Amino acid sequence: MADAGQPRATHRAEHLPLPLLMLLGWLVPGLGHLLLGRRLRAAVFFVVIAVAFVVGLVLDGELVLPHRGDPLSYLASIATLGNGVLFFVARILGLGQGAVTAPGYEYGNTFLLTAGMMNLLLILDIHDISVGKKDW
Amino acid sequence: MLDHLTLMALDALLIAVFFSFLWKHTRRERWLYFWKVFAALLLGAIALGWLMYPFPRG
Repeated sequence: MADAGQPRATHRAEHLPLPLLMLLGWLVPGLGHLLLGRRLRAAVFFVVIAVAFVVGLVLDGELVLPHRGDPLSYLASIATLGNGVLFFVARILGLGQGAVTAPGYEYGNTFLLTAGMMNLLLILDIHDISVGKKDW
Repeated sequence: MLDHLTLMALDALLIAVFFSFLWKHTRRERWLYFWKVFAALLLGAIALGWLMYPFPRG
């Protein structure tokens, strides 16, 4: 498998400071892994997160922003913001407003939140790979 | 509109693929882990649904 094997040099990422690498990984799902030379995983992560995000939008899910008096919306906001550039593009295009009465609303929210949280986990993985805690 | 089971299976599929590539290294490990997570999510949700069946709504 192309992605498996011994630790490899991280040519493109070795000149980037870790916070910048993590920021890029957050902005574009899989970009951090791509810069670290993990091409297969970068592609898989991008496809998985993008598919979950698009399905969430198609099902009329909501890209949650904080609502005053609703503490859970703060947690949900962190998760949806985890989608990085996908979140911002969708907001600019007016998508992800969420139709509470739509049959797929709750399903859509689940997909959008899942996509964001997966991308947040990738940031931690980028950190672990960069500091040598994970050598593959 | 996709039905509940299909959407649940799709979510389980995406999560299982994600975690198998995040946490496992070799192809064999990834396949094994993928099926474990996928089955746990799908069958676990169905089992939980059955367990909640006796409880009344609302």
